[in-house]
Amino acid sequence: MYLRTGVADKELVVNTIPSDERRQKGPYVFIECYQEIPCDPCTKICPFGSILPMDDINDLPRTDYDTCTGCTICAAICPGLAIFIIDETYSETEGTVGIPYEFSPLPAKGDVVEAMNRAGEVICDATVLRVNPNKKRQSTPLVTLVVPKELIMEVRFFRLKKNAADALPEVDPYDEENLPDSTVICRCENVTLGEVRALIDEGYDNVDEIKRISRAGMGPCQGRTCRPLIMGEIRRKTGKEFDEIELGAFRPPTKPIQFEQLMGGEEDDN
Amino acid sequence: MKEVDIAIIGGGPAGLMAAEAAASSGANVVLLERDGHLGGQLVKQTHKFFGSEKQYASTRGIYIANILEDKLKEMPDKVEIWKGATAIGLYEDDVLAVEVGKEIKKLKAKRFIVATGASEKSLVFVNNELPGIYGAGAVQTLMNVNGVRPGQRVLMVGAGNIGLIVSYQLLQAGVEVAAIIDAAPTIGGYLVHASKIRRAGVPILTSHTVTRAYGKESVEGATLVALDEQWQPLPGTEKEVAVDVICISVGLSPLAELLWHAGCEMHYIPQLGGHVPIRDKNLKTNVDAVYIAGDITGIEEASSAMVEGRLAGLTASASIGFKHDDYEAEVLDCNEQLRSLRAGPVGEHINQGMALVTSGE
Repeated sequence: MYLRTGVADKELVVNTIPSDERRQKGPYVFIECYQEIPCDPCTKICPFGSILPMDDINDLPRTDYDTCTGCTICAAICPGLAIFIIDETYSETEGTVGIPYEFSPLPAKGDVVEAMNRAGEVICDATVLRVNPNKKRQSTPLVTLVVPKELIMEVRFFRLKKNAADALPEVDPYDEENLPDSTVICRCENVTLGEVRALIDEGYDNVDEIKRISRAGMGPCQGRTCRPLIMGEIRRKTGKEFDEIELGAFRPPTKPIQFEQLMGGEEDDN
Repeated sequence: MKEVDIAIIGGGPAGLMAAEAAASSGANVVLLERDGHLGGQLVKQTHKFFGSEKQYASTRGIYIANILEDKLKEMPDKVEIWKGATAIGLYEDDVLAVEVGKEIKKLKAKRFIVATGASEKSLVFVNNELPGIYGAGAVQTLMNVNGVRPGQRVLMVGAGNIGLIVSYQLLQAGVEVAAIIDAAPTIGGYLVHASKIRRAGVPILTSHTVTRAYGKESVEGATLVALDEQWQPLPGTEKEVAVDVICISVGLSPLAELLWHAGCEMHYIPQLGGHVPIRDKNLKTNVDAVYIAGDITGIEEASSAMVEGRLAGLTASASIGFKHDDYEAEVLDCNEQLRSLRAGPVGEHINQGMALVTSGE
């Protein structure tokens, strides 16, 4: 499901939780990085070497929980905002979660905020224990929330309490068929899909000919927007692959310029 | 007509790195940037980058642009920077026509490194010309460059890294994101990005597409439909979502007009995002004077673009006699970085695509 929704599956999360013994010893880092991507700053920044070196930059990070102190340095620099600081020793019934938070305004210590889970659902109220703005301009602020112990592996975000945003008025959609001929395909020259389809039906099966007849692609954007769309329509109607579709010659200039500019150009030296 | 050893077209991550590598190899460089500032898309990237130290991992993109520009400023006698300069044509006698302000200038170079990046793909659906429908890049420019919110409530079409990141930036700007949809059955972007948006309450609907926008003067909503495993609409699954912005983030396409001008051999490679040139291991195309770096070689992350820029800067310089003092080691290091950035599962399609257009050792 992770790949479809962006919400990490339970099994992924459970796999990297440290031992019960370690969890009772104080704060630790919890890295929710479950996809191999080329990224390794966390392994370089840890002063205790607790995020183990990678053989390959695409490896998943691994934590040595015995040496990790939960110091938060890695959480501030992680480009993916995927590192949280968990402390399950805060009180009998509560723990804390340190959350990387790049929104303005930051909450203040003591504020009560709405704590959210990985899917963005509000699951409880939480009190802000600490705010480390990490003013060094590159880093991410870290906000530490006090949450019920049983939610320590659920709370991963929060929002400030405020009134719900005013909803936009609902409107009636137009009643038209899917992609009718009136759909615009070249915005610069106002050429419609219908015109392009008719040309393809007449046997014009390449971008160059369609451009000459319809002017699609002759406007200020020089076809950067409509060319791939016209190619798509040609492929749909003719079965031609993109590599087989004639684009026509690309000639200077790459953008519309005035004759006055050309006439004012430099003289040839030779 | 100005003459230079190496002309680099595009001042994004690839072009900036190429300029630095070429200049430190001893070549004289002109770096062209269409925009009024260097950095390309980096200036809109407020998130921390992935990768490793060498690609400035954990640094926010916007600061990477400054770091790279500062390096060039240290070599003013080697690097000339033309801002607000658009390359409009590359001719077979190795002359580039450049629009600078209202003037057309000519620039003759021994080598060109084309690092023009990519343009956004669009999508055909009913009423897709209504005001309020943006490319994700435009939304980023509005918010992160100009400080303007695009609207109140956004439908994001596309769950690749750009769609996910722009959704996150919209949330940061106080804009509601109604949903992120993607026609593919799985999320294309990094899952850590997806998770941080998901836990903020934004639904991600895979196997969904937009069939129509509606609204009188501008977008007032969109119709979504679920897709089956063959990506065909499932009847009866249509639903309306009220939004005033539809943001299209369905991928990028290499911006390669100049390569067509120059006579480079181009092929359509789906894994790389569109038409790309054949090249050798040194990032030289079949035209001796033309090298490539960044998204124009195939759509990837900025981290790979930077390494490719460095590699092309080194190899293009060496081909005209400006060999970096540590040339072999530097080139090896670039190739090793590229190999490792593409080694994981997310790099598989890149490697497949690259294999189709890369020749030689």
